[in-house]
Amino acid sequence: MDEEDTITNRRAILAGGATLGFGAGVAYLATRSPSSDSSYEPAAFHEGTGASGLGIELSGRPIVGDPDAPVDLYYWTDYLCPFCARFEANTLATIGRNYVDAGTVRIPFLLYPNIGDYSTSAAVWDRCVWEQVGEDDPAAYWNWHGSVFDAQRSSGENWADDERFGAITEGVEGVSRSAVQSCRASRRDAIRDRLDADVAAAQSAGIRGTPGFVVYNRETDQAGRLVGAHPYENFETAIDRVLAT
Amino acid sequence: MIGVDRRRFRTAAADLRSALAYPLTGDVRLLGAGIATIATYVLLVLSTYPQFTRQLLERDLTDVTYGVSVLTREVYLTSGWLGLALVVLYALLTGVAVTNAVALLQRRRRSGATGVAGILPGVLAAGCASCGAGVLGALGFVGAMAALPYDGTLLRIGGIALLLWFLARAGDPRTCSIGVGGGADAGVRNE
Repeated sequence: MDEEDTITNRRAILAGGATLGFGAGVAYLATRSPSSDSSYEPAAFHEGTGASGLGIELSGRPIVGDPDAPVDLYYWTDYLCPFCARFEANTLATIGRNYVDAGTVRIPFLLYPNIGDYSTSAAVWDRCVWEQVGEDDPAAYWNWHGSVFDAQRSSGENWADDERFGAITEGVEGVSRSAVQSCRASRRDAIRDRLDADVAAAQSAGIRGTPGFVVYNRETDQAGRLVGAHPYENFETAIDRVLAT
Repeated sequence: MIGVDRRRFRTAAADLRSALAYPLTGDVRLLGAGIATIATYVLLVLSTYPQFTRQLLERDLTDVTYGVSVLTREVYLTSGWLGLALVVLYALLTGVAVTNAVALLQRRRRSGATGVAGILPGVLAAGCASCGAGVLGALGFVGAMAALPYDGTLLRIGGIALLLWFLARAGDPRTCSIGVGGGADAGVRNE
């Protein structure tokens, strides 16, 4: 038999090496620690008032960035959504440093509970935390928000429940667990109405999943949509595009 | 009776061994198996979150490497080492199975036998079981996915068993199974 039809050592070694390389490559991708950038803290926060030029209600919603920033990056999230956690860990800080702190973009944090049973409850926790600290210590809201996503990333399934959120809340400096608990008990219906408005706004913008984004130039009225955990470059392109129009 | 079973098992194991070694018998075959393996892996991983993949690729096809790296991590986070190992094993076996199926098809075409029907069911059945979870998700049956035991791990194990069965049954694609095509191709096995 000629070499073309026999099992040669060279091919066996090649195949073995390629198989090992393939396995090692997958293992590397699987364990590569996410380039989590938890040290970032936005320079400015404010609370929205009234509807934006795009008709999205911002009253009582936390907004990261300068109130006069020319571009809105509406961000719909769900604390149970793994791709939202990925966006927060990998991309949000870079957008923050390059666009938010530069005064070009502000990010209204909107909620689109859709993934699991606890999504809506998690969203109520969020708004109650903001109501408690938004005015005096908005950085505490930012830390709480980051802690919840950290908890999601380091847990398996079914991690979200009252006990876990209570523990997270207690662990964040500046947030009073008892004040948030009493808000959850007394303000639940009002907050749920507000959540329904967030979801309705997302749906009318054509967003069906999280994380969902709408980029909107407040001066020229140009808008674009992004859904999913996109790499940073796609946000850069989308923001630059509405800025250029 | 037990002796017969044992002999049958030994024959199947030998067939499986020669089927798995077949891509090593040619540079083009080895390359083909490699490409099929990578393609299967990409397809399987991307199909774990079809909605995300669609959004990503609709926007920019070159983001596919980003998608594969993100979703590999996600598969590991949701189904652990076992789930990820199954996907890798599945991709490797599919690479071999596709190479062998191509060889079988070429041989049967040459010998004029009506062979396609004998090969395709194995590949298709295995393929369906592997990406079944992804296909269900793509069709919007996320509830069905959740209802699958162990998040589709059982389905993947079933797919791998089917693939192994197909490979063992077909053996080295250069040998003839009894009753197909007469004696023209018999005895080509290099042993």
